[in-house]
Amino acid sequence: MQHSKILISIKTVSSPLSLSTLLFLIFSLPVKAMQADELVRHIDSLWRGTTSHAFMTMSVKTQRYQRNMTMEAWSLGNDYSLVVIQKPIKDRGISTLKVEQNIWNYLPKINRVTKVPSSMMSGSWMGSHFTNDDLVKESTFEQDYDSTITFEGLRNNQNIYELTSIPKPNAAVVWGKVVMQITQSTLAPIKGLYYDEDGHLIRTLTFDQIQKIGERIIPMRMTLQPIDKPSESTVILYNDIQFDIPLTKNFFSLRNLKQRH
Amino acid sequence: MNNPVFNRLILLQFIAWRNIWRNPIRSGLTISALAGGLIMLILYAALLEGMSRQMVTYATDISSSHLQMHRSAYIDNQDIYATLPWSYLTAFEDSSLPVKIAPRLYAAALASSKDNSTGVMIKAIDPQREHHVTKLLSHLRSGEASFEPKQKNALTHYPVLVGAQLARNLQLSPGSELVLVTQAIDGSIGNAIFEVTGVLKPLEPNFDRMGVLMSIKAYQSLMYQEDGFHELAIKAQNIDELNTLQKQLQTQITHLQKQTPLDELGGKVIIRNWKELNPPVADMLELSGTMLLIVGLIVIGLASLGMINTMLMSVHERTHEFGTLLAIGMKARWILLMVVIESFYLALISAVIGSIIGSVIAKQFEDKGIDFSHMMPDGYDWAGVVFEPVMKGYLIPEQVFQASLLMILLTMLAALIPSWRIVRLKPAEVI
Repeated sequence: MQHSKILISIKTVSSPLSLSTLLFLIFSLPVKAMQADELVRHIDSLWRGTTSHAFMTMSVKTQRYQRNMTMEAWSLGNDYSLVVIQKPIKDRGISTLKVEQNIWNYLPKINRVTKVPSSMMSGSWMGSHFTNDDLVKESTFEQDYDSTITFEGLRNNQNIYELTSIPKPNAAVVWGKVVMQITQSTLAPIKGLYYDEDGHLIRTLTFDQIQKIGERIIPMRMTLQPIDKPSESTVILYNDIQFDIPLTKNFFSLRNLKQRH
Repeated sequence: MNNPVFNRLILLQFIAWRNIWRNPIRSGLTISALAGGLIMLILYAALLEGMSRQMVTYATDISSSHLQMHRSAYIDNQDIYATLPWSYLTAFEDSSLPVKIAPRLYAAALASSKDNSTGVMIKAIDPQREHHVTKLLSHLRSGEASFEPKQKNALTHYPVLVGAQLARNLQLSPGSELVLVTQAIDGSIGNAIFEVTGVLKPLEPNFDRMGVLMSIKAYQSLMYQEDGFHELAIKAQNIDELNTLQKQLQTQITHLQKQTPLDELGGKVIIRNWKELNPPVADMLELSGTMLLIVGLIVIGLASLGMINTMLMSVHERTHEFGTLLAIGMKARWILLMVVIESFYLALISAVIGSIIGSVIAKQFEDKGIDFSHMMPDGYDWAGVVFEPVMKGYLIPEQVFQASLLMILLTMLAALIPSWRIVRLKPAEVI
């Protein structure tokens, strides 16, 4: 909204080009850039806060199988997270621990912890359309991408910002471009579009069921759909989420990974 | 027996035979050269045939078998959902076709041992049936092919065999523990704990580097896959009747699909023979026949140069003698015939000696082979096929006969050069 005020100010200046107009134009650029960065950080922190504790349901639908899981998840900042499967019974206790760039899985059936090697990062996480890479890369989005606001205004009867992120030259990422659409009124995301390096749209991530949790306005459901298989999808539904609960790094340890199930 | 022509032929043969031995050393050398060339050709043919047969044996006996059956989606994408139902296996076994069959299943997985992890390729077999179709289970470097699950600390440990290179990379040996994690058929995380009971000798490069071999029961506990199998390995009684067998199997498949229709996503059922499964081997076999002929022409051709030399010298030495014969009325063509008969005798002697010696040595190659074990303990990889380090020959009598015939023909052709010289003699100049 601050951005709109600046625009209004510019419009009210008299038509002859003046020093004050130039100054406004110069200052508006860094403000816009800051706005984009702020949006990125805002989206990053939407479901996390300093710490978070959530119960969620993940429904995976593919051509070959359909699968529903109930999970409990904790997170600390962007670098630490722990996800434990509660249902189905067969998978109960299977856990995924993320510490910075590493992922481990605890497998209660064989009472073993296995580390996911870098060669398996593109593999599916828990049989869903999300990949291990998605878990790892989400924490470095701001460092991996240069983001700009490429559209601002009305679309589908909604005032939105469109945020376009291009990978930085040395970033080790799989996407060629990520486009995020965010509502202006609540700064809640509504859609993410993921393109490959050739510019083809590969998958879409849709956010809905907006709820207010404390001071945050959060989509409680996200749906990931591959473009080449329209009938397939992975839906994550947050049943409950709490923020800013007491958690320390010790909680996110291999020892705790084994014990908590 | 008063035929003058016949009498003359007998006389010419007798004279020709005596003429050969006028200079025994020179003729002996010529026979040695020709026989030597023939011996080399016979040995080359035997080794080439032996290598070809070893190639077919290794390509089919150790792993792929003679024929394989898959769904097309499995062939295209290694789609683990593209299976053939177990009822098909039962139907094939109940049929009267003269084959042995073995079902197989495949998957990709993450293998962990101590602190190391790597991607692996799982191959699941039915140990009882596989034994009749391939020699996979006896192709071991260490350990044994045992597939009975074991209970340790309340956990089930399933036995596996691993490829040799994989064993080195993960520091595995019989008794080692191996954890496999994968995505199961129903999307869940499949995981189980395994014990390495044996290390396989190399059988194909990919499997050697990434292969984990387990029983189908173990596979099912890891993957939660009960619906069917990915691959049917088929061994024919007679490898020379594969085309007929392929058609018969296809007919039976069509019949089975009417009884038990298959899902659309898996695609149609495809049967391929070992040449279609392993094109490099098939190409090599086609090429070997041509190579044999070319090498034969070169080797015998070179040896025939010696023959030309011998006959030219022989004819030259007898120029005066031929002149006298011409002067007393003998026709030039009779002299020519005599020289040709001499060449024929040399060729025939060489053929007999060369065939006998060549066959004896080739038989040795067939029985004992040439052993490179101390240089290449695990054999060598060529065109995607792993060979044993002992190179064996294989003697085919027809090839010996053909090589001898080729030698005689080339030698007779070579003899035409000195013979041509005789036709042009003028008695007055050479008498």
